[in-house]
Amino acid sequence: MRAQTPRKPLVSYLQPYLLIAPTLILVLMFNVLPAIRTVSDSTHRPARGLNAAGKAPEYVGLQNFHDLFDEAHYMGARFLRTFRNTLVFALATVVIAVPLGLLLALLLNHKQPLLGLWRFAVFYPSLLPLIGAASIWSFIFSDSIGLANAVLKSLGHPGLNWLGDRNLVLLSVIIVNIWKQAGYFMIFFLAGLQNIPRDIYESASLDGASDLQQFAALTLPLLRRTLLFVIVISFIFAFQTVEQLQALGEGGPNDSANLLLYLIFQNISERRNWGYVNAMTIVLIGVVLTFTIANFLLFERDESN
Amino acid sequence: MSFYRIACLALLLFAMTAGAALAQDDIVIDFYFPSATANDAEGIFQRYADMFEEENPGITINSVFSGSYTDTRNTILTELQGGGAGPDVAVMLSIDLYSFAEEGYIVPAQTFIDAMADGDAYISDFFPALMANGVDEMGTVWSIPFQRSTPILYYNADLLAEAGYDSPPTNNAELVEIAQALTTDERDGLLVPVAGGFPIWMYQSFAIAYGQNIVSDDPTEVYFNTPEAVAAVEFVRSLGTDLGVGPAGGAAWGDTPVAFLAGQAAMIYHTTGNLSRILDGADFEVGVWYLPSGPAGDDGAGYGSPTGGGNLYIFDDGSKSDEELDAIWKWVVFLSSPEIQSDWGATTGYIASNATAWETEPLASRAMEYPQYGVARDQLQYADKEFSSYATITIQGIINKTLESILTGESEDAQAAMDAAQAQIDGILAEYK
Amino acid sequence: MRQIASVTKTVIAILFLIPLIFTLLVSLRPETEPVTKGNIFIGSELTFENYQRAFVIAPWSLHYLNSIIFVAGVLLVQLVTVTCAAYAFARMRFLGRDLLLMVILLQLMIPSGVLLVQNFRMINTLGLFDTRVALMIPYWGSAFGVLLLRQTFREVPIELEEAARIDGANLFQVIRHVYVTNAIPAYLAFALVSVSSHWNEFLWPFIITRSEGIRPLTVGLNKLIKTTDQGAFYGQLMAGTLIVIAPLVILFLLFQRQFVESFARSGIR
Repeated sequence: MRAQTPRKPLVSYLQPYLLIAPTLILVLMFNVLPAIRTVSDSTHRPARGLNAAGKAPEYVGLQNFHDLFDEAHYMGARFLRTFRNTLVFALATVVIAVPLGLLLALLLNHKQPLLGLWRFAVFYPSLLPLIGAASIWSFIFSDSIGLANAVLKSLGHPGLNWLGDRNLVLLSVIIVNIWKQAGYFMIFFLAGLQNIPRDIYESASLDGASDLQQFAALTLPLLRRTLLFVIVISFIFAFQTVEQLQALGEGGPNDSANLLLYLIFQNISERRNWGYVNAMTIVLIGVVLTFTIANFLLFERDESN
Repeated sequence: MSFYRIACLALLLFAMTAGAALAQDDIVIDFYFPSATANDAEGIFQRYADMFEEENPGITINSVFSGSYTDTRNTILTELQGGGAGPDVAVMLSIDLYSFAEEGYIVPAQTFIDAMADGDAYISDFFPALMANGVDEMGTVWSIPFQRSTPILYYNADLLAEAGYDSPPTNNAELVEIAQALTTDERDGLLVPVAGGFPIWMYQSFAIAYGQNIVSDDPTEVYFNTPEAVAAVEFVRSLGTDLGVGPAGGAAWGDTPVAFLAGQAAMIYHTTGNLSRILDGADFEVGVWYLPSGPAGDDGAGYGSPTGGGNLYIFDDGSKSDEELDAIWKWVVFLSSPEIQSDWGATTGYIASNATAWETEPLASRAMEYPQYGVARDQLQYADKEFSSYATITIQGIINKTLESILTGESEDAQAAMDAAQAQIDGILAEYK
Repeated sequence: MRQIASVTKTVIAILFLIPLIFTLLVSLRPETEPVTKGNIFIGSELTFENYQRAFVIAPWSLHYLNSIIFVAGVLLVQLVTVTCAAYAFARMRFLGRDLLLMVILLQLMIPSGVLLVQNFRMINTLGLFDTRVALMIPYWGSAFGVLLLRQTFREVPIELEEAARIDGANLFQVIRHVYVTNAIPAYLAFALVSVSSHWNEFLWPFIITRSEGIRPLTVGLNKLIKTTDQGAFYGQLMAGTLIVIAPLVILFLLFQRQFVESFARSGIR
């Protein structure tokens, strides 16, 4: 339309395509094509046994997926456990970090002394590299010489094996994630709160509504959109944040705290398991895709309202 | 900054990095090594490389630190499978042999040894126990021992003396007795680092002490559900439960030496690779002894430890010239020479892998001053092969996961868990028969 | 109510700050004195030994430079690709526009982070393994950036573009003088989000590079974490961690408001 001039029809016809070409090509190369290859590789199995090197992979249909959902299979046992952990990890983040982020936003929404300090205290963890954050916590959780147990022991408790006890490792990893994400979620709630007009509250206070009543009747409904958004992205993030495991027990004893993307990372080097690695990637993509599409649908609908 | 300037910068950046191919006349050997040590492994390797380059003009050593042993193996495999060039020489676990030989990524050292004038003398100088994992079932030598270790018992001699023990435990019964006597609220009596993802190595010490290693010379056979194998893991589990001398589930690998140095563990099982660090860091008398013997019997029969640590591997997919291979082999021979092994052993505590190195300075005087250095070497007479088989990574993974599930109490019935694991392992190894 | 609020606030803030404070304290304690020995806060002496050792283990200044080149290289190219695409999608009408936008949005649905294996293969096919380009190239196209700027460009009054055209401006002059100048806050937000997320990237740089000469800070830190045989020595690990996290923490202290606003913007799609 406006960008087009009648004098140079071909060039101007091509112009928009040239402008989007770099982005489009990069996305095709590093997102679309790899995803298609993942699908195809997940239905194949590398040649195994003696003299397998150099032989072409064999088509096995859905057998890789079948093995992954078989508890007695060596990879199935790991995958099923890891998948369950990933769901627990994601749910725990949503249930704890999101409300905590909201609480922090409510506490830090208005002008107050030392506001900068408070914000720094809760937000700095989300700026750290995940692996740096994890390395800090690896010291806190260290069994015989860590901070957490030093505190517990001074209180007369014998201490906990934070990264070695199979019932505790996932919790330890979740604690780190909550500490890391709550401040980030707070930011969105702060932005959401800023969009709520002040005078709504003023009339409510005149009506004698308590702070809690105001929160339930006014703030929460008005933040509905932000809340939904944060919940969805926290799910999507939870499936992609795994680097902390590099410093926090590498998945724990018998995968008791392993997460899906990390399990994939742990297995990429071994050719015999490539079929499984690609099949697991498909599952991971499936979950992320579902939540992203849900996100779009929710907010498209919201925007059209 | 204007839009154009940014665009130009972006283009320039692209061109610079993409076109950064270097022209080199020298033969460049890409050498990957694991294990960042607090003793500055990179500095040491740089020194070795400088010495080597001076002796061999025209050859350049490009040393690359490649993370932990697992990182090293994984990164090299990933690189080669993705069609990358990979290293020319790498230090990897001695048990990684089949993972790389199966794929045709490495070539046997045997070819080079056969071509040497004094090949027999060169290879027979290495301790036989350290050769076990580098040789395949046909007797072909694939890799050369470099930074080798075994688990040994470290004990805080001051604490033992306080409790009235003048000598370290020599069998499991004494081990338990002393560990219990030394356990307090603030201190563990004995830490066996089986937590942290790699229990198999420590576990193997116990399996051997109980009379049956879990591997043999046949890479298609694994013995993981024998009565000895089961009894061994039950004993390790009991250390953290019934006997209460350490944390349930076992100690973490990295924390163990730190706790020992801080006086929070009276005895630990750990690698000899840590000897120098521990001797230098301790403010008490550090004792070192063989791992105590198990029920297989005293008089040596129940002693035992697996060997461990890294060998030198030579990578070639058939594309390297004789000249390059010649240079590569020179570097391998250099690193495994008595002079370098002596220096490396004295600096780190890894067992210098050939006999002559122990008569060479600086190790000769270091071992004289600290008799602790000789313990691991002498223990080698009882040492056995570390776990290795076809499909090593997968099978080792199954064993590690099974051990973890037993040690943390998730699988109460050790026999059942190990039977299930054995079935999975046999299924995989059947592909190789 | 107010008191409850300030108590809650203080408790949470202290809990959140403890890890940072102890990272600093432990990095200054002698290595042989873990917090379980002696005074929990301060060791028998203050020492910089841990920092010295951390510097021996990894060449931090090189890693710093690598990280800077990495994030700057990603950002500079992104600014170009994103601006072009955002303009096309915001102001041009062409066949297949919505479809092509959907294709680009696939990046948000299938993030390249989960495609480690295949992207690794792609880099090898291109012969880029262990180069700086390999580090950056998957991030050079940014669907998030396209969306953010498309939205911003649409809010620029069309009359400004028409006036510029009448003055004889060509396409690139229009983009530069009309759109870019009117979207600076959006660019700033995009830049902060891009820089801070790539500064923290670990898995991809770890897999795709080998040479110390191009590896970023996070991979250098991994080296300290994996001091394999020697055991975990927390003093030097905490020293290394502080070396790695310090710049972002300081940047945040300086530009707190901008950070908060940019991150908030990154969520509004």
